[in-house]
Amino acid sequence: MAFKVSSQVTGDVVSMTLVGELDASSAGAFKSEIDKAVGQSPRSLVLELKDLTFMASAGLRVLIYAKQKLGSGVSLYAVAPQDGIVSTLRMTGFDKSVYIVDQPPPPTPDTGRRT
Amino acid sequence: MTEPSSETFPGTLVGVERLREHVRERAKQGGLPAKAVYNLCLAIDEIATNVVLYGYEKAGRTGSLRIGTSLDEETFTVTLDDEGVAFDPSRFVPPTPEELARRLEDRTIGGLGLFLAFRGVDTLRYDVRSGVNRHTFSVKRQPHGSTPLA
Repeated sequence: MAFKVSSQVTGDVVSMTLVGELDASSAGAFKSEIDKAVGQSPRSLVLELKDLTFMASAGLRVLIYAKQKLGSGVSLYAVAPQDGIVSTLRMTGFDKSVYIVDQPPPPTPDTGRRT
Repeated sequence: MTEPSSETFPGTLVGVERLREHVRERAKQGGLPAKAVYNLCLAIDEIATNVVLYGYEKAGRTGSLRIGTSLDEETFTVTLDDEGVAFDPSRFVPPTPEELARRLEDRTIGGLGLFLAFRGVDTLRYDVRSGVNRHTFSVKRQPHGSTPLA
């Protein structure tokens, strides 16, 4: 299935919706979207993954890139990833740096806990 | 669905995508559970992508990706043949638990693809014969006829 990515900025949160299959062909589009998000200097990056059906290591490399570009203070959320993707995130230890959640985090006033 | 089959795809990233879809269908027909199908497709995607990027493109070569599938009572087997630059994935040193426990900010980019490939199947073998590289992926089937499709 073709890969699609789109973003929405709400306050200091960038929400990104990923659909389809994220592989070596499509990772460039995801990386470009991350670059746009970096320009917003968000406090959180929320990845909506409900309809992402496949993620290869090329996608993991973009997540590393995102975290390194955004900085340690920016929280990364993976919302409702499918089982195979959860398994990949856990197997590779990415779940220690990316919050895997069922629902998007609450709006910014409640998440402003970092100093 | 016990008859072996083979199919040839272009040695490009578009070919990898089509190949992945082909293996997914064959593995589903073979009754593998959804999780095993996903992990097998991931393993093959990682190896085939490396073949395209390093075995063909980086070396200035072109070629194909030939997929064979077969099924017996115990095992679903996929072979991937290519004519790219030889690379034996068993030479790969997997990331240590300490490396996998690192924060993403402190990680290097490489090594995850082959790690996922080896973890995605029961066995992954490599051999080269007359200039043709062959990767063989094997997945054990469920002990009895149960075929969970969750």
